[in-house]
Amino acid sequence: MNDNNLYTVDFDARAKQILAQEPLLSAREVEVTFSLRGKKLTAIRRTSLDLYEGETLAIVGESGSGKSVFTKCFVGMLDKNGSITNGSIMYQGEDLAQFTEKDWLRIRGKKIAMVTQDPMTSLNPLKTIGYQIQESVELHQGLKGSAAKQEVLRILEAVGIPDPVRRYRQYPHEFSGGMRQRVVIAIAVACRPQILICDEPTTALDVTIQAQILDLIRRLQKEQNMTIIYITHDLGVVANVADRVAVMYGGQIIEIGMANEVFFDPQHPYTSALLCALPQLGVKGEKLPAIDGTPPTAYTKIVGDAFAPRNKHALNIDFQEEPPMYEVTGTHMVKSWLRDPRAPKVEQPKAIQRLSQISMTSTGTDPSAYHPHLDPNRETLIQVKDMQVTFGSGRKKFVAVDHVNFEIYKGETFSLVGESGSGKTTIGRAIVRINPITSGEVLFKGERVSGKISKEMDTKVIRSMQMIFQDPMASLNERAKVDYIVSEGLINYHLYNNEHDRQDKVQRALQEVGLLPEFSSRFPHEFSGGQRQRIGIARSLIMEPQFIVADEPISALDVSIRAQVLNLLNDLKKSRGLTYLFIAHDLSVVRFISDRIAVIHKGRIVELAEAEELFAHPLHPYTKALLSAVPNPNPYVERAKKLLVYDPDQHHYEKEGPEWTEIIPGHFVYANRPELDGYRKEMRL
Amino acid sequence: MKKQENKKTVQEMEAPVVNLKVNLDRVDTEPKKERPMGREYPKSRSQMPESQLFEFAEYHAQDAEKIAYSNYSYWKSVWANFLKKKPAVIMSIVFILLFIFTFVASAIGKYDINMAPDPLNRMYISPNAEYWFGTNAIGQDYWAQVWYATRASILLAVLVSIGQISVGVIIGLIWGYVRKLDRFFTELYNLIDNVPTIIYMTLIALMVGKTMLTMGIAMVGFGWLATARNVRNLVFMYRDREYNLASRCLGTGLGRILFRNIFPYLVSVIILRLALAIPGTIAYETTLTYLGLMDIMVPSLGNLLSAARAVFPRAAYTLWFPAAIVSIITITFYLVGNAFSDACDPRNHV
Repeated sequence: MNDNNLYTVDFDARAKQILAQEPLLSAREVEVTFSLRGKKLTAIRRTSLDLYEGETLAIVGESGSGKSVFTKCFVGMLDKNGSITNGSIMYQGEDLAQFTEKDWLRIRGKKIAMVTQDPMTSLNPLKTIGYQIQESVELHQGLKGSAAKQEVLRILEAVGIPDPVRRYRQYPHEFSGGMRQRVVIAIAVACRPQILICDEPTTALDVTIQAQILDLIRRLQKEQNMTIIYITHDLGVVANVADRVAVMYGGQIIEIGMANEVFFDPQHPYTSALLCALPQLGVKGEKLPAIDGTPPTAYTKIVGDAFAPRNKHALNIDFQEEPPMYEVTGTHMVKSWLRDPRAPKVEQPKAIQRLSQISMTSTGTDPSAYHPHLDPNRETLIQVKDMQVTFGSGRKKFVAVDHVNFEIYKGETFSLVGESGSGKTTIGRAIVRINPITSGEVLFKGERVSGKISKEMDTKVIRSMQMIFQDPMASLNERAKVDYIVSEGLINYHLYNNEHDRQDKVQRALQEVGLLPEFSSRFPHEFSGGQRQRIGIARSLIMEPQFIVADEPISALDVSIRAQVLNLLNDLKKSRGLTYLFIAHDLSVVRFISDRIAVIHKGRIVELAEAEELFAHPLHPYTKALLSAVPNPNPYVERAKKLLVYDPDQHHYEKEGPEWTEIIPGHFVYANRPELDGYRKEMRL
Repeated sequence: MKKQENKKTVQEMEAPVVNLKVNLDRVDTEPKKERPMGREYPKSRSQMPESQLFEFAEYHAQDAEKIAYSNYSYWKSVWANFLKKKPAVIMSIVFILLFIFTFVASAIGKYDINMAPDPLNRMYISPNAEYWFGTNAIGQDYWAQVWYATRASILLAVLVSIGQISVGVIIGLIWGYVRKLDRFFTELYNLIDNVPTIIYMTLIALMVGKTMLTMGIAMVGFGWLATARNVRNLVFMYRDREYNLASRCLGTGLGRILFRNIFPYLVSVIILRLALAIPGTIAYETTLTYLGLMDIMVPSLGNLLSAARAVFPRAAYTLWFPAAIVSIITITFYLVGNAFSDACDPRNHV
């Protein structure tokens, strides 16, 4: 389905093109302030940006970097308490910064349109899809009646929605997440805007769907000659789509350049640190070069270079003076004192050098690493036998987990990978007994822990099996102090001698996860996502568990913070001999952290193998599709990747049913006999 | 035009910087195409010699870990917002003074509440220097009657309201959180709620008795329903949040999950319901008295109003005094309740 012409890109030619053009939109010294509870907060600190016709610009940044706020200025969609307090945004001879709400009606949606992150909230659940697109068509294109309807059907077809006549009459809830996002895009492009701003358009979607949506946007861009701004925190998406990349930090663009310049020759220490912290570039078994701390928020007082406090190689001047924009090449600019001639020369870190080499077939691995499952004396910690979990009953019965079997050995990280709705979280929750299982059983050290068990066993299981949750915002009780949250388990089983002992234990747990002991008297809302996640980890650690279910522990975190949490999990594994069940949707992270990986699709594990083996010899077509969609931070590799699509109908299971088979030692696949023969041929067995 | 821009930036760059002499030739700003981007130099001036400025600074992991948070506190904001609502604040003060005065009033009054009746000589004397609020049908001092009744009614209202809300909250929390009991409580609710409460009240008044204690308990017994259902629906919002799952993983018992994890989120709603339940109870008590379901021997605001209504145009003052007090109480709690629910809305905390 890939049109390869769309993907190959000659960055040098693009750069020349850009240098020859006058900017289409030109923002200068833009400052945005918000007033919040009587305070003036500066979200955008005088930053400038040029946008050139026909290009795809990606603005990368973590939460709070101001990337969304900055682009909202281009469509006049700032929140009510925010305003542009300085600078100009010139577009077609007009200054958008001075626009009134009436002026915006001419531009917003017609010339500059926006696609937002969550397709569920940007569609009206009470109106049909057709009505919602038609509304936009009638309003902006002036078409009426059947002409408008024809146009809507054409657009639906164009954004890749099959059977548009039927879909026209359907409501948003009848569409899948990916399809809904296609509709949102359809509405945005309905009036052929010149500039399309995509604010995290694929963050809420699965990787395979993400790749399709990016493909769609790329095609529409070509057809309608649009200029596109992507806002994202995902460097894989950036590598896929961007001609140019702007990196934002602390309300400013700190580096901007062609994608190849920014990825292979990052000049700002933040950009370089961000790339180094990617698990894809990490060496398995080694620590990721994480960035400490948290990105600044609007409350942070920024002096000098905003990144200086977190920069391990900051210069003295970074703490005192804000750096100017230095020009590296005609298109590459960076706001860092390191470019000053007086500054010491810094070499690119190894990980950056690795970036230009990596492809999907190889990453660094420490060959001496210990893999518990290869140990002849391996101890089975968790055994899942024929687990089935169903929800509802009768006609509404839904099988979430379907006859799943696996073992987890002591000391290993076992990963469960699948898309949303695949049942991976249900399995994790069933093991820690939050969800009851319908049939089958779970054994912990050979003892059954599912179903009805004795009270002593219950206590034992709770103390030895803990869980880390996905969303650090929802997994902490906002109305309790950190002290209570962390010591909750202690209080439940009275695992302390006296009050002093309890506080001591809490503080030690906080220190172990890299937080300051004095944080115990604070409330959760005072912390950033990464810190909150670490509070959650401290809460489980205090029970001194042997086994931890980590349910997508880093997917809700900022890119720079993910490495911190991954390192922490790996450190704890070593220091405490922990065993993890790591649940994730992101294969690149999983590869870095796991010993073995199980791929789950619609409640069934379809393939299970040692991590590198799975990447080297994926067998099941679903695994292949999932691997093909994994974003790669190397723009050349990412753009050249071939997307495979998995169609469950491609199996012929009517004649011969599939079975869970060990094709080579340690590598399991769910297949029937003819398929197995094919797989064996593939592996040249 | 480009040259002009170029000059301007050079001036800007040189003007505010004293210690840093920027040698533009050495900076990589080749004048191929000039794009002045970003602010050139900030206002602050460095005290360090130039040679040191470009050395690596020491790295402190602790500094990186510092948190820059807003010192926002939910309850502080609620309180601050509430204090902004002047009418509600003034009325609360008036109400508190009124309640304190009910204790003082009997002391400063000339006659006791238990003054011997003398309907022949003292019936319906209009307010004067001797009888400040006049006298009632049987010649007792109305001042003593009114303040005693006010105190009794407020106490009854507060106790009944607290009782109703407590029972309602406890049942609502369990009803909402324990899935297995949902059916049971729903049926119980339907069973009680489908019969008009007034019928239950009539039966109890006739069969058990009309004393304030009995009727107070009966009011609690049927008053928790609305609160319980409200709380149950709110619990649904929080029940499946991950922090509750975390508590279950840690083996936290039901009681502590309800009171540490869920109850704190409902406090604002509960206080609002409590504020509105107090005038509601007073009005209810008045209704019951009117229907003859309350003991008329003990003065309460409902009692006085009911008696005054019978003689209304003649001894109008017997209506005005209790009516004024009921109005004050109702208006106060209405204003306080509204102000409080506004103050609790985080959207108003901007």
